[in-house]
Formats: sequence, structure tokens, C-alpha cells
Amino acid sequence: MKLGTAKWQRNLFIATFILPTFLFFCLFTIYPVIQAMYYSLFDWSGSSDNKTFIGFDNFKEMFHDPIIWNAIGNDYFLVAGKIIGIMIIATFFAVALTRFGFKLSNFFRSIFFIPNVISVVVIGVLWNFIYNPQIGFLNSFLSLFTKDKVDITWLGFTSHTIWMLLPPAIWAGIGFYMILLIAAIQGIPDSYYEASSLEGAGQWAQFKHITLPLIWEQMKVSILNIMMTTLNGSFVIVMIMTNGGPDNSTQVMGSYLYQMAFTQYHFGYGAAIGVLILVASLITTLILQRLMRQETVEIS
Amino acid sequence: MKSGGLNPFFKIIFYAILIIWGLSVLYPLLWTLLDALKNNDQFFRKMPWSLPDLPLLWSNFSYVWSEFSFDKYFMNSVVVTVGSTLLGLFLAASTAYVLARYPFKGSNVLYLIYIASMMIPFSLALIPLFFLLNSMNLTNSSLGLILVYASTLIAFGIFVLVGFFKSLPKELEEAAAIDGASYFGIFFRVMLPLSQPGLITVGIVNVLNIWNEYIIGTILVNDPDHYTLPVGIAMMQAQMQYRTEWGPLFAGLLITMVPVLVVYMFFQRQIANGITAGAIK
Repeated sequence: MKLGTAKWQRNLFIATFILPTFLFFCLFTIYPVIQAMYYSLFDWSGSSDNKTFIGFDNFKEMFHDPIIWNAIGNDYFLVAGKIIGIMIIATFFAVALTRFGFKLSNFFRSIFFIPNVISVVVIGVLWNFIYNPQIGFLNSFLSLFTKDKVDITWLGFTSHTIWMLLPPAIWAGIGFYMILLIAAIQGIPDSYYEASSLEGAGQWAQFKHITLPLIWEQMKVSILNIMMTTLNGSFVIVMIMTNGGPDNSTQVMGSYLYQMAFTQYHFGYGAAIGVLILVASLITTLILQRLMRQETVEIS
Repeated sequence: MKSGGLNPFFKIIFYAILIIWGLSVLYPLLWTLLDALKNNDQFFRKMPWSLPDLPLLWSNFSYVWSEFSFDKYFMNSVVVTVGSTLLGLFLAASTAYVLARYPFKGSNVLYLIYIASMMIPFSLALIPLFFLLNSMNLTNSSLGLILVYASTLIAFGIFVLVGFFKSLPKELEEAAAIDGASYFGIFFRVMLPLSQPGLITVGIVNVLNIWNEYIIGTILVNDPDHYTLPVGIAMMQAQMQYRTEWGPLFAGLLITMVPVLVVYMFFQRQIANGITAGAIK
């Protein structure tokens, strides 16, 4: 009897601590995700009267929608550009600020992280000013070196504007991955480096044979993380800086989802784009993991 | 012998790179401040890096504060950030404690569900969230934002806090139990205070994310009375096509940035901990 009440109390405690969170989480996270998959099967303008079940027609329509193909291309352009740019620069900074014995390492580390605590909206507006053709920083700066005033509309070319989104994205991402890699490097025992110095290994040899293999796990995590956050979130900077323009040339899947759903009221199609983003990130995760697994074998 | 040994030539080059990158981060902040003190005339006639004319136009700040409703946006951001952080922390900590200390049938599966949800792209949930909140009459309200933002904290919070609770010594709970404390008493009086460092790490990461959040904010709110700062700034930038008031725009940017920069200055270590914890999934 006594044991029974104790057990009952314990179960009551577990239930009161588990259930509210789980119900809350189901309502605001799991339910919307399932709902999105359901919506993707409908032609739906947002009002319940106009909701028609069309099966996979939204996905079929995507095959014939040049904008979505362009958006997918842009997404992967940003993924590739950010992975290359961020990983090279962040690795360099992480090594420089730990292994090179620079004074002020902590100072630089704190500074380099600052863009990561600023809102993407603020970053987008700031970079819009850097690119602004009349009063912007970049044109004025370039004009210092030319006879005529430089007058380039940086965000105005359908063929190149997506390139202009890379610098702010890389600039804003460095600090986070640098911190990750610094933590990984600091986890490497000093004795490894001491032993290799005794054998006369220089900085480059140490980087290649000690640092790189031992932080490779962390680099893989970083690369996957860059891929996922880019496919899922790069549309914020797109929306702030170009709104997908000019002429849809900088559209990414997320910005197109937003535009389809919340400005053109094709909620079914928008939801289908959301499913596309999910599928794309899952497939890309698998592919990247496979590629990088082989890479590990090569290095070691 | 010395591991920091580096050819002096490279050392100078590397220093130069570090300094240039440092300037690329610090200069835009300084630039924002300087531009927030200029009038339009100075934007069009002078170089972007020119110093503002005297007297400095501090009035840009009061102008954007009252004329562009940044006073409201600021308060909304504070309410939404604080509210969602407290609610999310409580929901995450309670579950994390049970998962760490009172495993039950299915608790592992539950933990995996939470962790796996971190892999799902959030953009997928945007459309249903809008309709869900709409049906609950919670669009255009700070409460709606608080609920949604709190839910985005839960998975990460549980992930970090389960590890944290597991690392706390069991003896303290046992001692409290012998003294007659109930399960709830042990949690609120003993474990919650002890887990403060973990709570702060999770809380700070959340504060930064939510203060800066734009997309959910703009989808769930279209009444200017309930805008948060990032939504307000984006709207203000859009209006600048018609009314070019660059000085006030920069003042608005600064008002949005300064609070997180202050938080960052005080909680650097916790933020770094949160990042390293969160990425090693």
C-alpha cells in the first residue's frame, strides 16, 4: 500500500513534467510539419472553400516551373559557396588563433563572432548599403581608383546578383564555425604537437598531419550544418536584400515558398516547396555523409 | 621546440589578415553609428566613410523611436524574447530532468523524437503555423509569438539540459529526499538552482535567436502595433524607396543591434558553450 502511493506519486511527477512539454511540442512543431505534408497535396488559396485535393500535382507542376529549378540551383550555389568560403576562412582563423601563438587571440576571437549575434535583417540592410549604387560604400571605394565615378548596380544583374549574396552570407557565418573548430583544436593533446616539433615538423606539417585529421569530425559536422541552415534559412537574406529579384534570378526555395504562400496565396504549392526543402536536405545529408566518409579514409 | 613558431614573414601576413577581417566586422558597426548621426544631404554629397557634420544629429534616434514606432517594436521584442525564453526554458528543463533522472518506458524514444526534430527544416512548418495561430486567434499578438518561439527552444534545450542534469551529483537529491522533500521540491529547490549554468547557456542562445528572428515574426504579425524590431527594420527599409531617411534607418539598425551586443559582451562564454554543445549532436 505504501509502495503503491510512492509509485503513484512518482508517476504523477513524471507525467506532470513530461506531458505539458510534449503536448506543446506536438501542437507547435510536430503537427505543423505533418500538416505541411498534407497541405502539399491540395490546390488551396487559403480559404477553406477553395481547397481541392490534387494528389501529387503540385510536385508535378514543379517539374515545369522554371523558377523552382532556378531556385534549387541558387540554393545549391549558396550551399557550395558558403561551404567553401566559410570552411577555408574559419579553419584558417581557428588554426591561427590557437596554434600560431598570436597575442590578442582572444580579442580577435570575440570580434570575429560579432556578426553571428546580429540579426540577418540588420546584416542584409547593412550590405544593401555597401552595394547601394548611388550612396554605397563599394562604388565610392572603387571610385577612388578610377577616373570616372563607378556606378555599378550590384544587385541589378539577373545573371550575377546571386554572387553578391555570398559575401554577406560568408561574412556572417565565419564566427560560429570558427568557435566550433577552435573547441576541436583545443581538444587535441599538446603532447602530439610537442612530439612532432621534436621531430622537426613545421606549422604546415603539423596542420596537415595532426590538426586536420583530428578536427575532421568537427569539420564534417560544420559542413552538414552549413548545408542544412542554408537550404532552410538563406531565404531571409534573399528577402531582405533582393526579394528574389531581379526577375526571380535570386529566388531560393524558401523565398519562393514565402512568395507563393503569403503574397500569391498558393498555399498548397508553397507547402509542396516546403516538402521539397525537407527532401532536399535529407538527400543532401546522406550524399554528403557518404562523400565525407570516404574522405576520412583517404586522410588517415 | 616552441609550437607557436612561425616564420616572421608569414606572421606579418597572417596578422594583416586577422586585422583586416577584424576591421571588416568592427567598421560596419562604427559606420552604422556615424551614419545614424547624419542628415540626408551628407549621404548624397559626401563619401560613405566621411565623418558626420557637427552638430551631430542625435535627433535621428528620437525621431525613429517615436515617428517610426521603434519604442513599440523595442518593447514587443523585449516581451516576446523574455516570455518565450522563460516558457521554453521551463518546458525544456522539466522534461530534461525526468529524462535524465527518472527514465521510464519509452523515454529514450521521446528523447530521440526531440533530437530528431532539430533536423527538420523550419520553413516546412511556416504555412501550417500561420493557419494554426490564425485559428487560435493568436496572430498579431505577442502571445502567439511567445508560444511559437518557446516551442523552437524545446528540442535544443532538452538536448543540452539532459546532459547537464546527468552531470549533477545524485547525492544531493538523495539527501533532499531523506529530508522529506517531494519530487517537485527536489526539482525546484535543489536541481533547478544547481542547473543555473546550463539554463543560462540555453537561455542566452535563445535570447539571441529570438531577438533577431524575422521570418516567423513577419508571418504571424502584420499589425504594426505588434512588430518586433527585425520586422520593423525590414518594413522601414522597404519604405525607404519612397521616403529616403537614411539617418533614421541607421539609428533604427543601431537600436536593434545594441541590446544583443551588450548581451554578447556579458555572456560570451555561455554563448560559446551553447554553440559547441548544440553542434555536437
